[in-house]
Amino acid sequence: MSLANNEVLIQVKGLEKHFKHVQVLKGIDIDIHKGEVVAVIGPSGSGKSTFLRCLNLLEQPTGGHIIFEGSDLMDRKTNINALRQKMGMVFQSFNLFANMTVLKNMTVGPMKVKGMKQADAEKLALDLLGRVGLADRGDAYPIQLSGGQQQRVAIARALAMQPDVMLFDEPTSALDPEMVHEVLDVIKQLAKEHMTMVVVTHEMGFAREVADRVVFIDQGVIQEDNNPKDFFEHPQNPRLKEFLSKVL
Amino acid sequence: MISFEKIAKVWNVYGDFYWEGLGNTLWVAALAVVLGSVLGLLVASGRMLTIKPHENVVSKVIKSVLKFICTAYVEVLRATPLLVQVMVIYFGCTSIGLKLSDGTATRMLWGLVAVGLNSGAYLSEVIRSGIGAVPGGQMEAARCVGMNYRQAMVNVILPQAIRNILPALCNEFVTIIKETSVLSMVGIAEIMFQANAVSAASYIFVEPYIIAALMYFTVVFPLSKLVAAFERRMSRSVTR
Repeated sequence: MSLANNEVLIQVKGLEKHFKHVQVLKGIDIDIHKGEVVAVIGPSGSGKSTFLRCLNLLEQPTGGHIIFEGSDLMDRKTNINALRQKMGMVFQSFNLFANMTVLKNMTVGPMKVKGMKQADAEKLALDLLGRVGLADRGDAYPIQLSGGQQQRVAIARALAMQPDVMLFDEPTSALDPEMVHEVLDVIKQLAKEHMTMVVVTHEMGFAREVADRVVFIDQGVIQEDNNPKDFFEHPQNPRLKEFLSKVL
Repeated sequence: MISFEKIAKVWNVYGDFYWEGLGNTLWVAALAVVLGSVLGLLVASGRMLTIKPHENVVSKVIKSVLKFICTAYVEVLRATPLLVQVMVIYFGCTSIGLKLSDGTATRMLWGLVAVGLNSGAYLSEVIRSGIGAVPGGQMEAARCVGMNYRQAMVNVILPQAIRNILPALCNEFVTIIKETSVLSMVGIAEIMFQANAVSAASYIFVEPYIIAALMYFTVVFPLSKLVAAFERRMSRSVTR
C-alpha cells in the first residue's frame, strides 16, 4: 500500500544520544523515503521523542550520522539553519509565538528567513489557514484559540516554510479528547498529498490507518519496523507484543 | 516633641532646599536606572554566553573569562551594601586622582556611577530572569522555522521577555529613588542631604527629616501603585 518511491530523504545511521551518563539512543538505523509516513511508537522514556528531536538537531546527537538531502547534519560545516527550513516541526505543546497573531506566526518564518515578500507570505498563510479550517482566525492571538486550533495553526506554520518533511512530536498528546480528531484529520490530509512525515504518537488507530510504516522504539533501539498490518497483527518482537497487549 | 507647627515653619523657610533636593533625587535616580539598564543588558548577555563543545580554545577562554567577570560583578554588588559601594567608589576614585575640575560635578559623577553599578547588578538579574521566563518551546519553535539564534531572540524571545522586564525595571526606579538617600554621605544635594543641611542650620532635629520622609512618600507611593497596575495589565494580556 506504500505510496512512497524509493528515494531516501533522511538516512539515519548509528544514531546515539547520551544525556550525561544515561544513553537514551543506542544506535538507531532507519531510512525515511520521500512521500512516506512513518509512525514512531514506544513506551514513555523509550527515546522516541529524543530520536525525533535529533532529526533536526534540537538535540545534539552524540554519535552516528543523519543524512538529509545529501548533507550530513552531524558535519559541523553543514548549515543547520538552512536545513531546518526544510524540516517542519510540530510540538506536543504547540509552541505558537505568543507575541504574534496567527497570521504573523505563519509569515514571520517565510519573511525573515526566506526573504519572502509580505504580500506573498500572507497569501500563502491565508491559503494554508483555509486548508486547516481556520481561515477566519488570522488576526487571533494564540491564547484566544483552543488547543486543537492552536495545533492546526502550528501545522500550518510549519507548512508555510514549504518543508520537504514534517516531524510531529506527539501532536495530540496535550489535547482534550474531543479535539484530537481535528488535528489528526489535518495530518491525514497531508498524508494523502504525499507529504513525507515522521509522527511520534500514542494514537495506535491513527498509526495503523495512516502510516506506511510503523516503528517501535524501546530501550534506545528500533525493536520492530514493519508495515502497519503486520506490525499490529503479527508483532515479532517480544517487547512489542507486551507493549501492544497493554495499549490495544 | 514633634509639632506640626515646626514642620510648617521649616517648610516655609527651607522649602526651596527640599525642592532642589527632590529635583536632584529624581534625575540621579533616572540616570542611574538608565545606566543600570545598559549595564544590566551587557552583563546579562555576558552571563548567558553559551560555550559549545566544538569551539576553539581561544573563544572558549574568552567566553569563560567574560562569564566569570559578569558573575563576580553581580554577586559582589548584590552581597555588599550600597552605602559601602558608594564610599569605596567615591573615595577610591578621587584618591587616585580621578576628579573633575568642579567638586560638585565629581561627587555627582561618582555617586551616579556607584548607584548605576549597583542597579546594573540587580537589573542584569531582572533581564536574565525575564528572558528565562519565556518558555523554552518558543526558542525551539523559532529555530525550527529556520531562524538563527539572533533572529529568534529579536523576533520571538525579547518581545515576550520585555513584558516580564518592564514592570521590574519601573520597580527598580522606585527603589532607587529611596536608595539615592545614601548619596547624602558623599555630599550630593539630594533630599536627604538637604534635610541634613536644614537640620544643621535650624537646630531642629526631627521635623526636617519628617519633611524628607513625606517627600519620599509622596513620590514613591503613587509611583509604586502605578507600577503595580502596569504589572497587572502586562500579565493579563499574555495569560488566559
